[in-house]
Amino acid sequence: MPSSYPRRNRTPGELALAAALVVPIVVVMGGLVFWPLATSVLASFYRIDPMKPGTPFVGLANYGALLADGNVQTAWLNTFAYVAIAVVLETIGGLGAALLLNRVKHGRQWLLAITVLPWCLPPVVNAIVWMWIFNPSYGVLNHVLLWLGVIDARKVWFNDQATALFLISLVHVWRMMPLTAVILLAALQSIPRDLYEAARLDGAGPIKSFRLVTLPLISSGLAIALSQSTVFAFNLFDEAWILSGSSLDTRSVIIQVYLTAFQNLRFSNGMALSILAMLASLLVSLIYVLRVYRETRYD
Amino acid sequence: MRASLSTLPGRIGIVIAVALLVAWSLGPIYWSLVTSLTPPLHLLGTPSLWPQQISFEHYAKLFGATSMSQGNAVQSVWPQFSAALTNSLITSGLATVVTVAIAAFGAYAFVRLEFPGRDLLFVAVVATLAIPAYTVMIPLYRLMISLKLIDTYTGITLIYVSAFLPLALWLMRSVYQAMPISLEEAAWLDGAGRVYTLVYIVLPLSAPGLIASAILTFLNAWGQFMVPLVFSPTLATKPLTVLIPEFVTRNYIDFGLMNAAGILAIIPPVLLVLFLNRYLVSGLMAGATK
Repeated sequence: MPSSYPRRNRTPGELALAAALVVPIVVVMGGLVFWPLATSVLASFYRIDPMKPGTPFVGLANYGALLADGNVQTAWLNTFAYVAIAVVLETIGGLGAALLLNRVKHGRQWLLAITVLPWCLPPVVNAIVWMWIFNPSYGVLNHVLLWLGVIDARKVWFNDQATALFLISLVHVWRMMPLTAVILLAALQSIPRDLYEAARLDGAGPIKSFRLVTLPLISSGLAIALSQSTVFAFNLFDEAWILSGSSLDTRSVIIQVYLTAFQNLRFSNGMALSILAMLASLLVSLIYVLRVYRETRYD
Repeated sequence: MRASLSTLPGRIGIVIAVALLVAWSLGPIYWSLVTSLTPPLHLLGTPSLWPQQISFEHYAKLFGATSMSQGNAVQSVWPQFSAALTNSLITSGLATVVTVAIAAFGAYAFVRLEFPGRDLLFVAVVATLAIPAYTVMIPLYRLMISLKLIDTYTGITLIYVSAFLPLALWLMRSVYQAMPISLEEAAWLDGAGRVYTLVYIVLPLSAPGLIASAILTFLNAWGQFMVPLVFSPTLATKPLTVLIPEFVTRNYIDFGLMNAAGILAIIPPVLLVLFLNRYLVSGLMAGATK
């Protein structure tokens, strides 16, 4: 082994120190993440239900039950809607905010602080603040839209499923857009100035230089931002739970996991569903990363 | 591109864009603050951009011994509110201290020390960033029950540490990697040991990274909802994020009270953003782009 580390000889003391520093990480992550994760995967093949005796091996029966369950299907469709709306809005808004922040010279630090603030607040509090804004009788949204003449009568926003899904996504976007903006700002700031200079000398206008210089050079940042938005939108729980509880119209997959496991106590079904949700969010973000990387390669 | 900046329409465009961004980011918070200061009866009327009459009635319900609600004196929520506030502070504080300490020492081993399985372990730990917390929650719940750690500070803190350690470790590793080794070598030549060098030379120089990791961990822990919803069933450890929505389940939704409680709950994050914004943003950028 020492030959694989040619630069310095490993001393027994160094190894002991490394062990002392790393053991807490191994214990915490092993005990509270890796072991439960392995248990989760294994247990999803058994029937674990405090209401029923024994824990027999059932193979893929839990997964099969999930496919047949109408509530689960609705929860998946809702979650896909959340992901689609949130990723699109966060990316467009975040890119806009990042481009703006990159241009502002005076007080950029303050504008950045203001932009980041929604991300720093507890999601639950955000949801409550917006719940009051969306309130059908006294909410400011109805008042403003009435005043502007957009609507002619007060709307009970959450009576309509599409509107409810959109508004919950909007609250989520309000919280998560800053992260996209910061990631893209970091990417923008790493672009050398003289590339724009060169593009300008070649006769490229602002739009052309954005398409030919900015976009390719921030694509890896874009891939990170896209996969972050996707994973967080797949995990949407707080906003939907506060704004409309267990309502099937807005139920996300994670709310379904929570209800299955902690209210109906069907632990193994909940674990199977949570593993499917994890795989789905990993898969979708992998697709972004691969696509964006490939596009940069060929450019 | 530069040229369009200096023209007047370009400038006006930027000013409008800045105004929109500020209104979008601060508008809802401002509205919550206005609501929390509006007398309860005025909340049922036409909203106005500025409260016509400032009232601390909602805050009195949180802090007072008794308060008036719909004409009746009722027990105030101060006992629950203060317990939840304490719980939020203790669990977030403990999680931050433990996470940053483990990450600060552990990341050093991943950068400067050599041991078998080093890279594999690091990749495995950081890869858990991509695993959503709820995937491990059900087995974790059963584990916590068997360890009798449900509804204890130890239990909550341990879960937070396992959830936020990967990000802190990632950040601290990038901080150490950017640090020239020559400083440490000079100390070793002077006969200083590894531990001495780490504690007295490396850690002080890493202060910005340590602060960034601490802020990110604290904010994450402070905003947690689903973990305490499951693992903090009573006021023994229940944080503000779980308590505040419970104000809904009374016979009517007291939006004034909820907004007032919300405003109090966002004070710590707002202070962090106001005073330590630089570290927060550098931490977010380092955590997101490397």
